[in-house]
Amino acid sequence: MPANRSSSGAVWAIVRKECRSEWRTRYGLNAALLFAVTGLASTSFAVGRLGDRPDVLAALLWIVLLFAALASLSHAFVREVEGHTMALLRLVASPTAIAIGKLLFNLLFLVVIEVVTVPLFLVLMGAAPPRWPAFLGVLALGSLALGAGATLVAAIVAQTRGRGALFAGVSFPLLLPVLAAAVSGTRAQWSGASVAAELRLLAAYAVALLAASLLLYDHLWEDG
Amino acid sequence: MIRRGLLLAWIAGWIAAAFLWAPLVPVLGETTRVLYFHIPAAWVTVLALGWSMVNSLLYLRRRDLEHDHQAAAAAEIGLLFCVVATVSGALWAKAMWGAYWNWDPRETSIFFLLLIYGAYLALRSAIDQPERRARLSAVYSAIAFVSVPFLIFVVPRIYFSLHPDPLINPRGKIDMDPRIRVVFFALLLGFTGLFFWVQSLRVRVARLERRAEERREGSG
Repeated sequence: MPANRSSSGAVWAIVRKECRSEWRTRYGLNAALLFAVTGLASTSFAVGRLGDRPDVLAALLWIVLLFAALASLSHAFVREVEGHTMALLRLVASPTAIAIGKLLFNLLFLVVIEVVTVPLFLVLMGAAPPRWPAFLGVLALGSLALGAGATLVAAIVAQTRGRGALFAGVSFPLLLPVLAAAVSGTRAQWSGASVAAELRLLAAYAVALLAASLLLYDHLWEDG
Repeated sequence: MIRRGLLLAWIAGWIAAAFLWAPLVPVLGETTRVLYFHIPAAWVTVLALGWSMVNSLLYLRRRDLEHDHQAAAAAEIGLLFCVVATVSGALWAKAMWGAYWNWDPRETSIFFLLLIYGAYLALRSAIDQPERRARLSAVYSAIAFVSVPFLIFVVPRIYFSLHPDPLINPRGKIDMDPRIRVVFFALLLGFTGLFFWVQSLRVRVARLERRAEERREGSG
């Protein structure tokens, strides 16, 4: 019963397959990293050093991350549709396993982008976070919610005519709560306030999006 | 035909009453009257989005294109009323707060609704096949349903709002002049009737379009 195999083995196989096919060309990763660094450089060039403005810093950091994510996260699904490999993939794994596999791959992808972008941002802006656990906590939960929302929309948009063009506009309404809470949390961390409320909000939103994804993925790929 | 005439007369009559009969609130002055258009439009926006989402979920369950027509029509009309609510609110904000737009939580949430409607309709326009369009846009609608409560209920609790809440705030309710209340609720009813009337027209058009499409495919 290959179609019912949503076990961890299938998910793991999807993640490995995604990483391998990405690593063969690295075109998605290169494009995303270039985009992130370009976005960051143009922001930094336009505003200069901002070590004493936590409100602006938090907003700029998340705008750079959001745009880098929006430029790259539809890739995992669009690649399947453009290569006409989606039907084959669905023969060997359940929609839920495919979805979770792609989500894990997208989260990994986000981590790689952030490992490059965030330190560069902190150096260019000349502002070290005063409390690393709070900073990294908001970053991690924000990325989780960002990845969950973007992966779900990517699965929808990959089946439309516009594909890449639609992705940013269509996923933005879903990512707006993430942006609001993450910016507010990062700002609070820089100005020394508590981030507990924002962390709770981000965690709740990520869980709600993940639960909705698991319920909806079966409806997404019906006619192949 | 008679019901349409009654609806038109009802709305026209109460709009006249809003100008001639209902008194002005001291602080708000002439801007009081935005109450009769802005809040009913905002109410219809929320009603239409709810209607659209419920029909999307029903489509996923029953796979009847009728629900898709309902969802799409409600989204289109909701977008229209959302623009009315946003613009009337911005004009009022300019008169009372001194700026058209200030990202007050209420402004944030209505802008967010505008984005959802816009994204939903953009998504629909990018898919040709009716069943696939219905299915994918219903899934999108269901996900948007997850994020709406966060913006409507969570954001106003994080940020301070200047928006007057005559309906929620009980003190505002007592201060409301009975004549204002009568006109307000009458127009709320009128706008709701307007929504369901336009909705039925739009759904009929969608049904006819589908039938014409099927006939063309059948003969050609």
